[in-house]
Amino acid sequence: MGVVAAARPYLPGLALLAVGALLSHLVAGAVDGLQPLVVAVAVGVLVGNTVGTPDAAEPGVGVDKLFLETGIVLLGAAVVVEEFLAAGPTVLGLVVATVAGGILLAELIARGLFRLDGTTPSLLAAGASICGVSAVVAIGRVLDSRGSAITFAAATVLLFDAVTLVAFPVAGEWLGLTGRQFGVWAGVSMFSTGPVAAAGFAHSPEAGQWATVTKLARNSLLGGVAVAYSLAYTARSATDPGVRRLWAEFPKFLLGFIAVAAIANSGLLSPAALESIGRVSDALFTLAFVGLGLSIRLREMREVGGAAVGAVLVHLLVVSALALAAVRWLL
Amino acid sequence: MVSDAADGTGSPVVDRWTALDRGWQALALGLGIVAVHAAGQAAGLF
Repeated sequence: MGVVAAARPYLPGLALLAVGALLSHLVAGAVDGLQPLVVAVAVGVLVGNTVGTPDAAEPGVGVDKLFLETGIVLLGAAVVVEEFLAAGPTVLGLVVATVAGGILLAELIARGLFRLDGTTPSLLAAGASICGVSAVVAIGRVLDSRGSAITFAAATVLLFDAVTLVAFPVAGEWLGLTGRQFGVWAGVSMFSTGPVAAAGFAHSPEAGQWATVTKLARNSLLGGVAVAYSLAYTARSATDPGVRRLWAEFPKFLLGFIAVAAIANSGLLSPAALESIGRVSDALFTLAFVGLGLSIRLREMREVGGAAVGAVLVHLLVVSALALAAVRWLL
Repeated sequence: MVSDAADGTGSPVVDRWTALDRGWQALALGLGIVAVHAAGQAAGLF
């Protein structure tokens, strides 16, 4: 089988993403002040919850995460390294504090206040504090969680992804935050990478960059948290050395983002080339956000348990309130 | 195209690509796009 034959099953889904992306740009172009990336998510949610994703389109639509990660790698071209290095220690400190504090807080709330037991509190804590569904799955693997517990925690995280995707940009506007403040706030408070980037860009391009970079810093802590959890749960993965686990969970595309940022800031590429790379990044984000919208199933969210929603809601309110105070004070 | 297709397809390029972790795929695609832009700049397109 050649490359063309291997790519064929992906074509219907890629075409669906492309049509959604094109439609998003047309709608956003017709309405003043509307961001194409926000419309892309809305188009995906609308299609996914009315006609649904056709079976033939499923493989291609599943490429949305690859588009998102490639878009993030290319976002490195828009980063002004000096600006990020200047704010880096502050943002990094905030990220480490919110991840470590957030995990402890979520465990405490879920076990003490909402009486959840087993590995579910840990799955919810990882999903809410690091990087959403991928953290739930990664920590679920480390802790040998039941499939139903992983599905339950992932559904809870997805519910909050959908709600915060709308609520954060509205709150950011209402609170009058600057692009940097809003980006870092969303980056440390929201859950999954896609919605964080979408919410950031819904505010402004500057907020989108800060939100993505902050979220990447948070994602890079997944390996460390996985090792900590495996030790906390009676060293279940003693055969899997810590460094190997750290590397296995490390988001490799982050290295690409750093490499592209280094190339862009070295002066090797002309402003026109950098602008073109930025346009490719935008196009990939639009495709990815149509896919993100298609993956949001409103009906499935009604089946999420009340205790889990309560625990994650309390966690989100506390963490986002503290993070808001911190970004206003520090940035 | 994504990393969950584990069975061989008969094409070494496709097999190697599908065996890659998605993060590596994104890194490779991103750097490939930057390389195309660098080549375009050298050719006077940008």
